[in-house]
Amino acid sequence: MKLLLIEDEKALATSIQNYFQRENFICEWAADYRTAVEKIHIYRYDCVLVDLMLPDGDGLDAVRELKRNFPETGIIIISAKNSLDDRITGLNLGSDDYLTKPFHLSELNARVQAVIRRRSFQGSQQIRFGKIQIDPQEHLVLVDQQEIVLTRKEYDLLVYLIANKNRVLTKESIAEHLWGDDADLMDNFDFIYTHIKNLRKKLMDKGCPDYLKSIYGVGYKFSEQ
Amino acid sequence: MKLLERILKYQIVTSLCVLTLGAVLFYFSVDYLIDLEVNKELMRSKTKVSWQLRHIDELPVYILQLGDSLQLDQVRYPGQMVLVERKLFNEFENEYQPYRQLTFYERVEGAWYRVTISKLLAQRQQLLEAVVMTVTFIVALLLISLLLLNSWLSRRLWRPFYRTLRALDSYQVEKHEVLTFPKQHTVEFDQLNLSVTQFTDRLAATYQNLKEFTENASHEIQTPLAVILSKIEGLFQDEDLKESQIVALSEISEAANRLAKLNQALLLLTKIENRQFLAGTEPISLVPIINRKLRDLEDLIEQREITVKTAIEPTGPVMHPALAEVLVNNLLTNAIRYNVNGGTIDIRLVPGQLIVRNTGAPIHIDPELMFERFRKEGSNSASLGLGLALAKTICQVNGQTLRYETEGTWHILTVTW
Repeated sequence: MKLLLIEDEKALATSIQNYFQRENFICEWAADYRTAVEKIHIYRYDCVLVDLMLPDGDGLDAVRELKRNFPETGIIIISAKNSLDDRITGLNLGSDDYLTKPFHLSELNARVQAVIRRRSFQGSQQIRFGKIQIDPQEHLVLVDQQEIVLTRKEYDLLVYLIANKNRVLTKESIAEHLWGDDADLMDNFDFIYTHIKNLRKKLMDKGCPDYLKSIYGVGYKFSEQ
Repeated sequence: MKLLERILKYQIVTSLCVLTLGAVLFYFSVDYLIDLEVNKELMRSKTKVSWQLRHIDELPVYILQLGDSLQLDQVRYPGQMVLVERKLFNEFENEYQPYRQLTFYERVEGAWYRVTISKLLAQRQQLLEAVVMTVTFIVALLLISLLLLNSWLSRRLWRPFYRTLRALDSYQVEKHEVLTFPKQHTVEFDQLNLSVTQFTDRLAATYQNLKEFTENASHEIQTPLAVILSKIEGLFQDEDLKESQIVALSEISEAANRLAKLNQALLLLTKIENRQFLAGTEPISLVPIINRKLRDLEDLIEQREITVKTAIEPTGPVMHPALAEVLVNNLLTNAIRYNVNGGTIDIRLVPGQLIVRNTGAPIHIDPELMFERFRKEGSNSASLGLGLALAKTICQVNGQTLRYETEGTWHILTVTW
């Protein structure tokens, strides 16, 4: 998979690049609007991450440019602007998602994967991890071809964990993914623990190995080892 | 008391004093002049009487003026000339009246006569009456004209002043308006209006700068925060970290996350105060927002065994949908956060009112204080302490009222529009 990151903040760009490189994605970086437009016209990307405030232009113009010439490319806007107007303009222009800074890299990763999945052909839309197979369109979860019934939050949690497999996920990022702005309602994160516990139990009941590892003081890691 | 009424009060007191004093002075000076005149007349009469006595045996009747009387008495010895004032009975008027009497002695053909000329002083009485009448009339005239003048002044001359006053009264700095006024004929009012215009201009500029600063600051903080959070997340993936380092890192992460949330909430608050969310013209229904929110929070409601009762009608205020969302969100979140396990939330939506009631621990301060920023009862560390401040601000910019009341263990938040 090939990504283009249009972002003028070098430190942030490096973090994002590193994160996606571990995912075996190729993540190219454009620090300004001019470079970004150049790159858009030379290479083909699966997904483009656009910051709206660029030193030499408006990120929304980059979105327009992409939509006009390469409508099949996924677009995610990452912006410090949280204003409703920008969000609506961005989504109306055809961006697939809008993420407000600051965000968790794991959240960005999950969104990128969701966008790529939605944009690819039917066959590759399935999510697979070990014995688990998920059909995102049907919200169907199978373990060894047996269906398991998950609540909406448990399903979201599972998809998020698989998207960020082999990585340490902080409790904050999980809480924010599941509850968004209400994440701070979850006192002491006990609530996440309840969901994790239920999900783990449902998976193991169907013969799944214990993929979920608890990392003391930080959060969780979903991996096959 | 109105300025013009106060002025009128002083004007009346002053004019009454001046008029009384003037009346007294007027009375005495006229009295003195009349006295002088009477005395002169008496002396003239004396000269005439003396001459007549000396040269003509008989006194003619017309020698004196009407109302005066002349009396001749033969005496053995002459005495001093005396000028006195006394009351004598006037048969014609049938009452005692003041007279001035001049008594002098004249020798006619070897015999002494005492001559007494009496002059009626009726003028003085009339004078007093005339003075009192005139002064009363002047006072009445003055009062009426003052009242008329003042009402005319307040209608005409002071109109620009009252217009300025009204404009200042309804001035709202949040609207960034600068008050301007048409040119006036009165220099003072012109100066006042100019000062007000300059003042509001400065105020609006300062307010705008402050708002811009807050927004820019909040906004610019987002990017460094994003860097910090992304670096922390990168570090977490490092498998060589010691446990103590992971714990420290996790604490840094928590603090940075909290800072990010705080910053976003403050930014939203500033934007609302800046009126960047303008209400539409149509009322929006709160029903779908409430239902969506309750669905989002159902896990939490279930986990804390909270009973939710709803009685909602499809209605709502005129406001920006995003603000309605934030308002409902904060009210419901608040009702859950400060609820007790196994408690109740009662949501009632009727035309003109949204009432969210929840059970909870009693608070020991004035409930209205809970609308202050960063005010928290107890140490609910997960809370930013901005939720109710946000709700209050949203209501304020949309012309709604938000009340917080407690009734035993019930906490009642009411939005009225």
